[in-house]
Amino acid sequence: MPDSIDYSRKPVLILGASGFIGSRVAAALERSPVYRPIAASRRSMVRVDATNLQSVLGALRDVDCVINCVAGKESTMVRATQVLCEAARSLPPRRIVHLSSMAVYGAATGTVTEDHVPVAPISGYGRAKIACEEIVGRYVSDGGDAVILRPTCVFGPGSTQWTTRLARLLQAGRLGDLGTVGDGCCNLAFIDDLVAAIVSALDAPEISGRIFNISSPAALTWNQFLMAFGKALHATPIRRIPARMVKIETKLLAPFRRVGSKVIKAPWTVAITPSLTALFQQDIWVDSAAARSALWLAQTPPDQMIAAVIRDDRIKKERALS
Amino acid sequence: MIQSANDIVCDTVVQANICIVGGGPAGITLALELAKTGKSILLLESGGEMPSADTQALNAGEVADERLHSPPDRYRQRVLGGGTSIWGGRCVPFDPIDFNNRPWIDHSGWPISYDEVERHYAAANTWCEAGEYEYDARLATPGGMRPVLRGFAPLHFDTNGIERFSCPTNFGDRYRARLRSAPNVRVLLSATVTRLRAARDGSRIDSVDVRATQDNSFSVTADQFVLAMGGMETPRLLLTSDDVHAGGIGNANDLVGRFYMCHIAGTIGSLRVNGASDAVWHGYDLAADGTYCRRRIALRPTAQASMGLGNAVFRLHHPRIADPRHGTGPLSAIFLAQRFISYEYAKRLVSDVPPSYRTWLRHGMNAVIDSPSTARFLFHWLKARTLADRKFPSVIIRPRTNLFSLDFHAEQVPNPDSRIGLGSGVDRFGNRQIRVDWRYGRQDVETVAKSFDLLSQELADQSIGRLSLASDEIDIETVVRRDGAYGGHHIGTARMGSGARSGVVDRDCKVFGVNNLYVAGSSTFPTSSQANPTLTIVAMAVRLAKHLGRVVTQVPSIQEAVS
Repeated sequence: MPDSIDYSRKPVLILGASGFIGSRVAAALERSPVYRPIAASRRSMVRVDATNLQSVLGALRDVDCVINCVAGKESTMVRATQVLCEAARSLPPRRIVHLSSMAVYGAATGTVTEDHVPVAPISGYGRAKIACEEIVGRYVSDGGDAVILRPTCVFGPGSTQWTTRLARLLQAGRLGDLGTVGDGCCNLAFIDDLVAAIVSALDAPEISGRIFNISSPAALTWNQFLMAFGKALHATPIRRIPARMVKIETKLLAPFRRVGSKVIKAPWTVAITPSLTALFQQDIWVDSAAARSALWLAQTPPDQMIAAVIRDDRIKKERALS
Repeated sequence: MIQSANDIVCDTVVQANICIVGGGPAGITLALELAKTGKSILLLESGGEMPSADTQALNAGEVADERLHSPPDRYRQRVLGGGTSIWGGRCVPFDPIDFNNRPWIDHSGWPISYDEVERHYAAANTWCEAGEYEYDARLATPGGMRPVLRGFAPLHFDTNGIERFSCPTNFGDRYRARLRSAPNVRVLLSATVTRLRAARDGSRIDSVDVRATQDNSFSVTADQFVLAMGGMETPRLLLTSDDVHAGGIGNANDLVGRFYMCHIAGTIGSLRVNGASDAVWHGYDLAADGTYCRRRIALRPTAQASMGLGNAVFRLHHPRIADPRHGTGPLSAIFLAQRFISYEYAKRLVSDVPPSYRTWLRHGMNAVIDSPSTARFLFHWLKARTLADRKFPSVIIRPRTNLFSLDFHAEQVPNPDSRIGLGSGVDRFGNRQIRVDWRYGRQDVETVAKSFDLLSQELADQSIGRLSLASDEIDIETVVRRDGAYGGHHIGTARMGSGARSGVVDRDCKVFGVNNLYVAGSSTFPTSSQANPTLTIVAMAVRLAKHLGRVVTQVPSIQEAVS
């Protein structure tokens, strides 16, 4: 925390600030000469219960913008979005930057722009994100000011979901060259690019009510990405994982590993879930042209993303452990 | 979308922008590369998703000398994936010298440069799942690969070139899902093309006749047609389609089916290596991407030029399996299991003469006496080959002593008298079957004999070991005849030329004189190289796809022109 607070900077409330994305946004705003972050979560110094209306109202009064990075259980995400929009309605207008996900597209294939309709089956997480977007949409219809960002798989130093997990699985030889299972398009959003896009969305003109995909530029398959990441991690030789092994992992071992993960965090308790392998096979290309134009989205190439991860101390520790 | 041609109503006319005939590695690569153009792609495959005896029987034909060449229904598969369904997976790029006009080899030289093919090898490696495009032993694995023979630095051979191995990838299995999901690709299985229908002036193909396995017939019209049917069926269809072009399409100069090449390949000699057993490494190394890699001993271009030879490579090999004197349990176990090994592989593993009971007995004793080695071998084979997706490529057995044989794989020079023609028999659709008249020449034998002598000399000069021939191998031609034409490599029968007098297709693989007919596959290769053809077939398919992509975006389709 800075020694003194610069009140000339615009205050921005970050809900879910203790999470991976929220903390990175808070750090970026801390360095900004324009914005002053108010990092709120249940565990941070600014304690806000995002599911409690009074708690959110109190935090919202003194800020000009809100970034909703609340993650967690599906019901929590929906409730937090409901509370945020309800609180914002009762106060003078301020911009909400809401983080959604590419999961809202469900099983869509081909090139997907922001107006693409969801395609069944849609995961529980995807349905929750759709419900959140609908709440934000109603807020905008009622005269509110909000922007929705739909990042793809967020990759970068500190990402447990799409970086550490994949690194552990590659180092354990449980992921690698997946053959047909890994032929889907690998849509990654580099954390720094996403954070920059969130900051841009705080004040970008004439974007209220709009939705933006946030993804990388490269047309990679998951196989190509996993091979490159595995090599960078020195998890070599990369193993070819037979399709039957993937089936055993997802259908037989995943439930046991999930239960194990409640007890101990170890590489062997990292599950390869059916939804993960479905994503590896999904031929979906998330188009971020709109964000490039309106939010000046920078798109870091995959090799630079991987290099940034390899330089990170947390991954170095993982490699040492393996 | 993948459909059966049996579901197409009789006498229907199916339309597409590009029609590809043949669903092997070239056809599938073309279809999926061309899918990016957004044009409608139709892939016609004679076989189904699984092999069937009825369809396979369409490959039957005659062979002029059955001792030299396998029957035409062997090493060729009518099934989605084509030859890759029985492929061993060896990937090797051609060498720059293969593309040169070499004064010492008649009819050599390609109308395109090495660079024009080389730039597509990286993509071909990806399609074949052979890892990175890196064929230098010093760079292919972290820290470089182990030397074949420690301390061997030959003047006339390069030992840093390698072969990389595909899984091996069956293109039908591997890319079925992509073919099914590509919105503009339609695959018709059980669709045998029986005739190319040329326009009256012969300048283009209007349509092709197709027969399904249930005998319903229909036709296909397209703006562009590609024949990707392999080195035997391509000349067969061109020669059969003779209603407008007398003598067959593209055959105005009597070149279709000629210059038929395989490779001159086999196992020869015995090499006793001096020194410790760890001075020799004839097995595989693993690249970081998981690909199996193996060094080769390749005759340098300077030696080829100075001695007037074709291209050739050698690999260290275990002793001949059929000869029980090797005393090695695992090799004898393979001999005993020969009935369970497919024809295509058993042919080279076992003896060319029926073994005696005494031979069977000696192999049985080897397997028993050397049972620990046999058990270790079988366990490794089960784990690394049978159950693995990326399969251990071949039998590698370290001899008890430093005694090896040599595998050779040599270029066959182009010979207009070696040819695929039409025979007297007909298939069930009434089309004439093929007649294979494969011939080798003096230069083919000399390439093996002189490069063997040269290698023998260099090994002796450097005190690496002693390479010798058995008494029945002294005349190398007997070895060439014993092993015959290398199965599955069908090259040169619709060769690329700089003009219609020297080739069937031009530098873009378009048949001379026919504006919308192309050929993909090894039949277009003017020379055969030392390399196995699949990687170059795929690289050339990628190259053709890029050319066709430009053609179809520049030339309005027939449907567009009509409307």
